[in-house]
Amino acid sequence: MDADEDSTISQPPAEDVKATPGLSDPDQWVELHGDYLFRYAMMRLRDAAKAEDAVQDTFLAALKGGKNFAGRSAEKSWLVGILKNKICDYYRKAGRETPFTDLEFYSDEESDRFVPVGLFKDSWIHELGPQEWTNPGASLDREIFWQTFRDCANKLPKKVGAVFTLREVDGIEGREVCALLNISENNLWVMLHRARMALRRCMEVNWFGKKDAPE
Amino acid sequence: MNRTSNIVKSLVGRLGDLSPRCKEAIRLQSAALDRNLTLTERFGLRLHLVLCRWCRAYGRQVAFLRSAAGGLAQDNRHLQQQALSPEARERLKRMLQSARE
Repeated sequence: MDADEDSTISQPPAEDVKATPGLSDPDQWVELHGDYLFRYAMMRLRDAAKAEDAVQDTFLAALKGGKNFAGRSAEKSWLVGILKNKICDYYRKAGRETPFTDLEFYSDEESDRFVPVGLFKDSWIHELGPQEWTNPGASLDREIFWQTFRDCANKLPKKVGAVFTLREVDGIEGREVCALLNISENNLWVMLHRARMALRRCMEVNWFGKKDAPE
Repeated sequence: MNRTSNIVKSLVGRLGDLSPRCKEAIRLQSAALDRNLTLTERFGLRLHLVLCRWCRAYGRQVAFLRSAAGGLAQDNRHLQQQALSPEARERLKRMLQSARE
């Protein structure tokens, strides 16, 4: 409890924090912001224990760096900002252990469906090109459709799948996905393209192309 | 016969200068979902799509799947409705309190 050794006591004691205009009592932070931060972390980390750790680290860092605010929403944004960094740290650490490889950026499962040489090089080989999907919207209220879709998404290579989930399913902004996974915008687009190609093909084979698929 | 096919080849060659092939066209269609295409890209793609029903189908299908992907998030509704468990809540509160002592 020695103030000199304990680096967390670099900010004013509780009474002063309470007196600061706009900044709520840290005792209240869990009640006011805990669930919101937890949800935010869950969307990106998809694991309750990791999300909790991230929220905990956020509160601890926030205690250290107490700021002045006007209003609670500014306080929430500030906390989310800290949380974003914590989540990035997590991804950075995970990325070091299994980094993206060139393979993930450049391999192309659909490449043998294009004419390889000659005048019509890189055109679809007609028999192997996209088929017509009749009335795809009608599938959306079939549970089996969603199951198939989910299965196809799970079949994606791991990193490509992560990009797809964060961007297309969770709707996280491209720039943030790039920051989380430490990839460039270009990398992002390449991987989204790969994900979309693979998903389209998978859905065509397993759902829309099937003779007994619903109309 | 030969003369016709030569004309066709020449036309295809000319068009090829202006518009992308299918491999590039589908890449552009994907990119268009995430960013604005340049004027040149957009024009070339349009031209290609007029002529290529496979790429037209591709574009429709990818756009459809993209809007459907949001539905997978519905599926993850449990993620969005997550709240801290009472135990976690208490743990955090205690941690905050001891950190400030």
